[in-house]
Amino acid sequence: MNRETAWRVFAGEYNDSTLDMSDGGERSPTYVVTPLGAKVNRLFVVGVLTDMENVGTEQGPMWRGRITDPTGTFHIYAGQFQPAAAAAMSKLKPPVFAAVSGKSRVYKPDSGATYVSIRPEIVKVVDANLRDYWVLESCQSLKKRLEAAREAYQMNPPTVGELLKLGCSSSLSAGLVAAVAHYGNVDLSRYSSMLAESLRYLLPEFQESRPPETEEVIKVEEKVAEKAPEKGADDQLEADILALIEQLDKDGKGASWDAILEGAKKHKVDRDKLEELVNVLLDKGLVYEPVLGRMKKI
Amino acid sequence: MQEEIASHARDISRALGGKVSEKEIENELNNYLNVYRVSLDTAKRSIVRKHGGDPTGLQLGVSKTIKELIPGEQSVDMLCRIVSVDGRQIDVEGGAKDILYGILGDQTGTVPFTAWVVEGLDLHKGDVVRVRNAYTKEFRGQVQVNFGNRTTLAKESADALPPYEPGKGSVPRGPPTPMKVVDLKEGSSNVSLIVRVLDVEKREVQVNGDAKTVFSGTFADETGKVKFSAWKDFSISPSDTLKIEGGYVKAWRGIPQFSFDERSAVSKLEASTLPTVEELEKSPRVWIEDLAERGGAIDVVVRGIVIDIKEGSGLVYRCPECKRVLRKMACRIHGEVQGTPDLRVKAVVDDGSGALIAVLGKELTEGLLGKTLEACITEAKENMSQEVVRDQLADLLVAQPVEVRGNVTSDDYGLMMIVDGAKILKVDVEQEARAMLEELEGLEDTA
Repeated sequence: MNRETAWRVFAGEYNDSTLDMSDGGERSPTYVVTPLGAKVNRLFVVGVLTDMENVGTEQGPMWRGRITDPTGTFHIYAGQFQPAAAAAMSKLKPPVFAAVSGKSRVYKPDSGATYVSIRPEIVKVVDANLRDYWVLESCQSLKKRLEAAREAYQMNPPTVGELLKLGCSSSLSAGLVAAVAHYGNVDLSRYSSMLAESLRYLLPEFQESRPPETEEVIKVEEKVAEKAPEKGADDQLEADILALIEQLDKDGKGASWDAILEGAKKHKVDRDKLEELVNVLLDKGLVYEPVLGRMKKI
Repeated sequence: MQEEIASHARDISRALGGKVSEKEIENELNNYLNVYRVSLDTAKRSIVRKHGGDPTGLQLGVSKTIKELIPGEQSVDMLCRIVSVDGRQIDVEGGAKDILYGILGDQTGTVPFTAWVVEGLDLHKGDVVRVRNAYTKEFRGQVQVNFGNRTTLAKESADALPPYEPGKGSVPRGPPTPMKVVDLKEGSSNVSLIVRVLDVEKREVQVNGDAKTVFSGTFADETGKVKFSAWKDFSISPSDTLKIEGGYVKAWRGIPQFSFDERSAVSKLEASTLPTVEELEKSPRVWIEDLAERGGAIDVVVRGIVIDIKEGSGLVYRCPECKRVLRKMACRIHGEVQGTPDLRVKAVVDDGSGALIAVLGKELTEGLLGKTLEACITEAKENMSQEVVRDQLADLLVAQPVEVRGNVTSDDYGLMMIVDGAKILKVDVEQEARAMLEELEGLEDTA
């Protein structure tokens, strides 16, 4: 009985998962299988904990946190059955760099949608260096799976035996065969650009496109602001978007992302720019995301 | 078969004190075997229990050949030859106990055995015995036969089984398979290997009561290192470059070990065939998933992130007799003792492809903590808790990239590295990311 591997998987790939499986047998573990065949029972993620909330009760707390990486957001939930992780989470003050190891969870409501999350075992505050190291590891891991998926798509249908012969691990071979059976041949360009984007994220020459996340990045922006007068324009846009979000929040549940995007066009703000601005607002604590895809002014 | 069923039905009926007729039991037994298709052993026990009897009253086991044995048999009969037998004392609760151990053989194979009750047992090499009511277990992936309280042994005439021929069936056939050190797996046979000798020593060992000379040491090629045993004097010396044909691989705690003997051919090659000894002495970096497939390895480097510090890390107390770590100040074997303090870390190191438990001893732990065992004892006393040291280690190491070097073994609980060297890993993330990105963009340009 080998310990389950802690996969390094980007949120962008993990959240695309709609397949869960077990190897059969009563006590065999369950896995979330990503479109690229990572068979995830345990994962290790490092990112920015952007918000944290007790969605349970005072007596029976259930902590929900969001951790963002360069590709998306992990959702983590810790309650009374994860006492150590829940205690650690309750002490965190977002935004902060956090490392989490935990178990993959799947929630499939009747609507037919699939939500994957993480049930943490260990939560720890870390620094930007570790986040960068994790992004690198996750890139290496993603690259391996991309290459294996390209090979698998050449086979019709792929088999565990053939993939093993190509040097894939037994876990990835089994995962890819299950993934191809469930997802079919997915568009790999989404994941190859995810890989390239994440690598650029680590390089200073591409830092311009780095989505702002934390006080560290805000500091960088302050420096930029000193020598770049157009920064003032950004401040104006931030104020405009904030006003827009407030205006669109008609029912008190927050403004939907699509509506904000539509409204932002008037300010000549495209999708990328809008994401950047909203992230700044999130970091400044001026807005928050009550549910996925909705923004609300605080 | 039907005749055999009848005798088993008689056995069941006897175990039930004759309160159910043999005919009825025979029908029932047939039903279990042919309709529900459970094993004969399970069927017999189930029937006895169903009628309120005690299955240990069954006397007639299921006769099997060695090849047919599976782990977990509760009652098995066999006709076999004692290939080797040896005695020793083991420590059990309540003092020392004598046991016999050795190897059983028949025409289908060999299997290790242990006799837990030695009174009245007179076994000699070459004896042919009829064993009844033995049981089997699995130990490190191999079936083992056990003789317990209920087991009976009866000597048969020597010609009841064909004589055992050592090595029969394992003589190299056909050309040997060329392999690299990294490919060696437990059970590989008729292997051809090109290696350099890093070290070698001559030892006298006892094999089944006979004195033998073995030359053992370490081989290496560009893929890794492996321990070897040569059961014949091939006049091997350090730094020789050798080609060995017809070797085989056994495992010790999962670590593949290379053996060869008088049936193997050894030839010396040009020194330039392989890198220098200094080059080969470096420990190769490996992925944990590859270690898991190999079962273990000697002297390898693993890079990963510490994702947990296991219980029993930090300040521990050991039994002065057996060095076991005490739980609640008592030793599992020797009871309450005055423990000797020690420091260690049992860390889960995960590289994204797999995980292993890395065990660091006192010196390495002191180095990581930056303080001595004595300082830790003082702190534990001040805080009234041994756990304070473990907490410090967790603060220091969890979520920390590390590089560890050592030998990796495996058992039912997975992989374990006894760490010889450890360091906090510093990686130039930028440089590696740039190299990867350039490689990707290069691919796109050519595509």
